[in-house]
Amino acid sequence: MLRQCLAIARREFFFMWRDKSLRYILLAGPLLGLLIFYATYSPQVLKNIPAAIVDLDHSRAGQELIKNIQAAENLKITAYPGSYDELEELIKKGEVIAGVVIPEDYGKEVSLSRQARVEMIVDGSNMIYATNTTSAMLSVTRTLSAQTGVKVLVARGIQPTQARAAYQPVEFREEAWFNPTLNYAYFVVLALALNVWQQCCTLAACMNITGETGARSWYQIKALGLSRLRLFFSKSAAQIITFMVIALPVFFLAFVVCKLPLRCGFAVFLLFNLAFVIALHSVGTLASSLAREAVNATRFGMIIALPSFLLSGYSWPLEAMPPYLRFIAQILPQTWYFQGLNFLTFKDPGWAFMSQFFLAFLIIAAVCYGTAAIIVARRT
Amino acid sequence: MTPLIKVIDLKQTIGKQKVLDGLSLELYSGECLGLFGARGAGKTALLHILSGIDRFKSGSVEILGCDIRKSEAFKKQLGLVTQERSLFRDLKVYENLEFIAVLKNTGLDSIPDLVKRFELTDYLGEPAGRLNAGVYQRLSMACALLNEPRLLIADDLINDIDPYAQRLILKELNRFVTSGGACVWGFSRIEFCAATSRVGWLEKGSLTFYTPQEAQEQWESQLLSIEQQSGGENA
Repeated sequence: MLRQCLAIARREFFFMWRDKSLRYILLAGPLLGLLIFYATYSPQVLKNIPAAIVDLDHSRAGQELIKNIQAAENLKITAYPGSYDELEELIKKGEVIAGVVIPEDYGKEVSLSRQARVEMIVDGSNMIYATNTTSAMLSVTRTLSAQTGVKVLVARGIQPTQARAAYQPVEFREEAWFNPTLNYAYFVVLALALNVWQQCCTLAACMNITGETGARSWYQIKALGLSRLRLFFSKSAAQIITFMVIALPVFFLAFVVCKLPLRCGFAVFLLFNLAFVIALHSVGTLASSLAREAVNATRFGMIIALPSFLLSGYSWPLEAMPPYLRFIAQILPQTWYFQGLNFLTFKDPGWAFMSQFFLAFLIIAAVCYGTAAIIVARRT
Repeated sequence: MTPLIKVIDLKQTIGKQKVLDGLSLELYSGECLGLFGARGAGKTALLHILSGIDRFKSGSVEILGCDIRKSEAFKKQLGLVTQERSLFRDLKVYENLEFIAVLKNTGLDSIPDLVKRFELTDYLGEPAGRLNAGVYQRLSMACALLNEPRLLIADDLINDIDPYAQRLILKELNRFVTSGGACVWGFSRIEFCAATSRVGWLEKGSLTFYTPQEAQEQWESQLLSIEQQSGGENA
């Protein structure tokens, strides 16, 4: 029996290796994903955001304000349009992302110690740009607003130290735990690369049954009277080992070369990945048992694999999703995986907490493999 | 003598079409039954039932003493050559032999002899999917004989392959049958009847048995009658 299992597993390795497209997808997909995502997100912050200033006032106070904006860390002033309409045109064309409009009476209002209004415009069509630009602009305007306020108080006869103190009544100290520098690359690069990996694995697992029953060699297997349980167990073992092996270079690159954080031990991390791969493989096997042919199986794989990352709660919190979507998300192993991945890489909350993730994988695997076995037994 | 195959009142439908309509047959050791019929007559359907690939609607099928609905034990002594290329196309010639030998739970000792008899030495490193039809059928036959079966089921064994491969396969088939094996061989070319010991003519879901000579004569008489009919119509 063992000899047969080993022969089937060996043939499965051969099959995956000799199928060029499958080999390239499995080997290169996740690695390429990691490299591309790391290269993309490694700068960590958006710098040199192109911005424009419309100075309708041309006063000294206005010039001073322009100097301060020019000195802002992540903004790059690339244009000085003469009017509001010109600024609108520049934003429409994508030449600038943000604009500051200094109104005609700005200098007068400041000199009279009245409240002056400066308009800050951000291109909201790209959320990433908009969020970063707003944050960059706010850091400038907050400082400027405070400086102007202090000046007004000083002009009214209040001591400068008192005036400055009036603008800093409460000190808010920011302290980010588990990712102190709020490094976006730490948060997103490994998850995106492993998303590519899980998609490749799902597609391959979706061929587990149809790949065999849909091939003409299925006649030989049926005529041999080989136990289906033995056949699919051996094939599955080979596939699961392959999925784990192709993840190893990704882990090496991520944790050793790119120095992405891994708070838990590597053995625990591997065990967690193995549990996920088994659950994921079971979902693919179930899809494969339902598919009539290989093309259908691939379609099922894509339907499962592609939206699973979005539904996993990694990029948008599960709690913010409608209840029915949350339910769908929770029956997918990818949700448990990406949630658990975040805990393990940043926090290492310990076995007691992580056991619920392993239990979820176990239940998913038992249900999916069990159902697939019933379907295969009935169909073949 | 106990028959190796005993089929009684076998019925099979595919979709709504009745393919086998209550046929019966017996096959004994040392016999090669030629299953002759036009394309679509149901030869493959019958051979797939006999090799345990497909289930059937009703009737009883006993192979090597096993009711095939209840036991698959007969498969240990079965060899199969299918009409379609059913070897493992991703594996090379030797790997196919080795893999099938392991799946058949038999030793690898018989491989060198089969490689020699079917003259496969030059092809051992080639993927099965890339072999020409003659070599492929030689390999299929070699794989079928790996477990030294008592029963060989062959569908379109030598159809459309080169004469050399035909001769080699027929020689081995003859050797298999004379050494006590039994074979059911499906084909749609009447000239292959000569290589069989008995012919089962499959038509409209039923089998009629002939000697090879009778089958040839029956074929010729059918041809003659068609020619006469068409001659009369033309006149």
